Amino acid sequence: MRTRPTTRALQYLAVLCYLVFLAFPLLWLISSSLKSPQEFASITPSFLPKHPDLSNFSDALEEQGLVRSMLNSLQISVATTVLVLVVSLPVAYALARFRSRLRPVTNGWILVSQVFPVILIVIPLFLILRPLHLTNTIPGVVIVYMVWSLPFALWMLQGYVAAVPRELEEAASVDGASRVRTIVSIVMPLLRPGLIATAMFTFISAWNEFFFALVLLQDPQLKTLPLVLARFVGAEGQVQFGPLAAASVLATVPSLVFFAFLQRRLTSGLLSGAVKG
Amino acid sequence: MKKVVTALMAAGALVALAACGGGSDNSSGDSGSTEKVTLKFQSLAFQKTTVAATKKIVADWNAANPNIQVEYVQGSWDSVHDQLVTQFQGGTAPDVIQDESADITGFANQGYLADLSQYLSQETKDAVPQGVWDTVSSDGKVFAAPTLLQSYVVFGNSALLKQAGVSATGDSLSWDQLQADAKKLTAGGKYGLGWGLKSPTATVLNLGMNFDAAFFEGTGRDAQVKIGDPELEVPKRINAMAYTDKSIDPTSLTQSGSDVLPGFFGGKYALIVGGNYAAQQIVEQAPKGFQWEVLPPLKGSSEKQAANPQTLSVPAEGKHIKESAQFIDFLMKAENLAAVGQGDWLIPTTQAARDAIQQATGGKNGWTQTLASGAELTKAPFQSVENYPKWKDQIATPALQEFLANKIDLVTLGKKLNDGWGQVNS
Amino acid sequence: MSTATLTAAPEQAGGSKRPGRPKQNREAIFLFLPALLPVLLLSVYPLLRGIALGFTDARAGLNVDTNFIGFDNFAKLLHNELFWDSFRIGLIWTLSVTILQFVAALGLALLLNTNLKFRGVARTLALIPWAMPPVVVAIMWRLLLHPTNGPVNEILQSLHLTDHPINFLGDFSTALPAVIVVGVWVGMPMTTVTLLAGLQGIDRSLYEAAAVDGAGAWHQFWYITLPQLRTVIIAITSLDMIWNFNSFGLVYVLTAGGPGGKTMLPMLFAYNEAFRYGNFGMAAAMGDVMVVIIIVFLAFYLRSRLRSEA
Repeated sequence: MRTRPTTRALQYLAVLCYLVFLAFPLLWLISSSLKSPQEFASITPSFLPKHPDLSNFSDALEEQGLVRSMLNSLQISVATTVLVLVVSLPVAYALARFRSRLRPVTNGWILVSQVFPVILIVIPLFLILRPLHLTNTIPGVVIVYMVWSLPFALWMLQGYVAAVPRELEEAASVDGASRVRTIVSIVMPLLRPGLIATAMFTFISAWNEFFFALVLLQDPQLKTLPLVLARFVGAEGQVQFGPLAAASVLATVPSLVFFAFLQRRLTSGLLSGAVKG
Repeated sequence: MKKVVTALMAAGALVALAACGGGSDNSSGDSGSTEKVTLKFQSLAFQKTTVAATKKIVADWNAANPNIQVEYVQGSWDSVHDQLVTQFQGGTAPDVIQDESADITGFANQGYLADLSQYLSQETKDAVPQGVWDTVSSDGKVFAAPTLLQSYVVFGNSALLKQAGVSATGDSLSWDQLQADAKKLTAGGKYGLGWGLKSPTATVLNLGMNFDAAFFEGTGRDAQVKIGDPELEVPKRINAMAYTDKSIDPTSLTQSGSDVLPGFFGGKYALIVGGNYAAQQIVEQAPKGFQWEVLPPLKGSSEKQAANPQTLSVPAEGKHIKESAQFIDFLMKAENLAAVGQGDWLIPTTQAARDAIQQATGGKNGWTQTLASGAELTKAPFQSVENYPKWKDQIATPALQEFLANKIDLVTLGKKLNDGWGQVNS
Repeated sequence: MSTATLTAAPEQAGGSKRPGRPKQNREAIFLFLPALLPVLLLSVYPLLRGIALGFTDARAGLNVDTNFIGFDNFAKLLHNELFWDSFRIGLIWTLSVTILQFVAALGLALLLNTNLKFRGVARTLALIPWAMPPVVVAIMWRLLLHPTNGPVNEILQSLHLTDHPINFLGDFSTALPAVIVVGVWVGMPMTTVTLLAGLQGIDRSLYEAAAVDGAGAWHQFWYITLPQLRTVIIAITSLDMIWNFNSFGLVYVLTAGGPGGKTMLPMLFAYNEAFRYGNFGMAAAMGDVMVVIIIVFLAFYLRSRLRSEA
């Protein structure tokens, strides 16, 4: 396919517009994190800080357990992501490929679990976790996150599995490959973009989750990042914005790095698919 | 097939492992013996100064009481209510809970809070005026120790006041005077007054006490709403200032209290009305050389405002109520209360602590006026109405927002406030 | 289509149409196994309890008795105008956000799927809204839209698009549109990544074959891209719809339902009922109503979408 220069120019322009819309708030956040409270409250906002300094960052890092909470969040998010992928792939495959009775049941559960107000589930959930000694522990939070990210992962993954041409698998099974082999060597590579999208979603929803963590984790040593960030918000809408902006910048960077790393895989999924196709 | 089974087993084992992994329970729950107990104290301290002061108090206590150790747990005002609802329901509330009177009334009615009347020391009881105890008690039971109070005060930009020849002395500032001053200060695209009333109900009900506005009669579920001229006086005046005198910036009425501060610093507003805790933000954020002052307390037919103190409570199911109350007694000591009050720019509930702040600050930065306004804070009828929060969210706030945006008239406002009660209290 | 279609084993194709073949069921159960226990324990059971709660008078309180009261809650809800008002607002919010999100994300995904320079950077930057914790997102937008010192008003004024600052979140006419824009902003990366992953999964040879036949870009988009993406589009739009209908944290921090109830979403309403007023039973009943309505809604949506498959 060849693209005309004008079309190309328009494409760049369109991408630029999108990026301004999506990224401007972050740039502004970074700029704010370098501003003093006085400058922050100034009536004429300036895009670049006049006297940039890092005191907001030192204030944020001084905050009890910010770094600790980032490590906790990282641990929880990675564990959740791995578990979700391991558990959801076989189920999604079964949902997309077999017309089993479990399919309508599962899809029903997926819908209801996404629709029913989660806040009303917290209390029964809490009462189940307590006798299992899972409240106030990281594994407890991981399992809860896994279970609650699963519906999305299944719903998405079965869409991606369904998009993998059945013929490829059938060709393989004609060649005598077992079902497992077929999944691992044929379906998985084609599914890579879908798996990565699911992984990103799971990771980020665990990284950002607030309410379950608030209820389940009481030990200050175990607090996750969103819980610590909430600390900068006081009563009656008072916000310590400088330190909050600094802490948010620190909190956003790891996910972005993670994304930058993953999105490259998103492309390589395409390449390997193209080779096989 | 074998491979998939192994993979599944591995995954299953992982889950099982994770399930068994967390055996540690929280340390406060199980020690039933008389030896050493550990209390969890969930503090909502927000300003840096207050956090430091609170932690120091905890350290002092721990040094003096090796057998009753207190663990500082940081909570946040933003999420405290949700957190407490779930903690109470799940039976894991911390031993000492910080909150505010308006928020704990519901918890007290639901039976979640311990009656502290027999546990708190006589010294603590005597130090706080009865009018303030009333805000945390019902039927002779005391559900919390009140610590710090907030009142609504008028902050002024000293330079602009001087320029316009507005003097802010005297024991009180009448509403008529406020209106006249604001008019005088309005000129050249600048407004006399900026008032962050995004959540108008609390302000209107609290300041309504200036005009003896009751809003409710009776208590609990039987309470009846009462909307008459005194109740509508405050919104009426604000609306008149915004749309007749044009001395209040109407945009500010849709913003939160801290959102109007940049306009105050930038000279867009000569005066702002807000909770006295805003002083801390002014100190932190105001540009260098910005001169500000606190005007005398607002006065209608009186200077009364509703008292909504910050509180310290103990859960009814707490295992160490006695020890928790001892710690609360310690927090209520004049020097400790003064330390946290000064950090938050709030008024301690005890006279001794107020004196300590007056002495420490020399009454500067408006502390004299701030502390003086504390004397007029008493319980308001709405504080013992069970469905008040619902009426506030679903009826009063939207109706007041509409009225302050000049979308409905005073009669309609009164009707909405009145009729809405029947809807939510059924 | 590719030649592979011809090789489809007839037995397999025929079999998959009939529901519940025993062998497949057994195999399926195996694949389900690892998910089963945690899901039953931590999701299905709490969900069932939550749903059942709607038929009780459960209230917050120490040692409060809970009684089964049948459909009383629902009967009461029928007359609760405020609840239905919030439903109307919720519907406007859900549809606007979902549609705008989808259109914007599809455009971005298509652009990011071309071989533009710097697309790796662009792809990462496009994910920014996603990488920010919701607490921060809401507070940040409040400041961006601030009437006194927010950059958005500053820019609008310097471009002479408005002569006086607008309080987007506080004004009766702009509050809902403003939260919708923020809603679109927050949800775009998610939808974009999903669609992009779908685009990457499309077999290139389809385009090559079409190009040989002389089909233009628009033709290719309409006859190859969209049909190939269909399952992914259905999945993500229906999920977006559910999530948007259920979202409340963002709006809660942005406007808390104000001004004058203009942004009171149903979830916010149910949340208050449970957590502020302690009426768990009534709140659960609201949840039940939402479940039923969303499922009916989705059933229509999915049915009409899936029918176009045939």
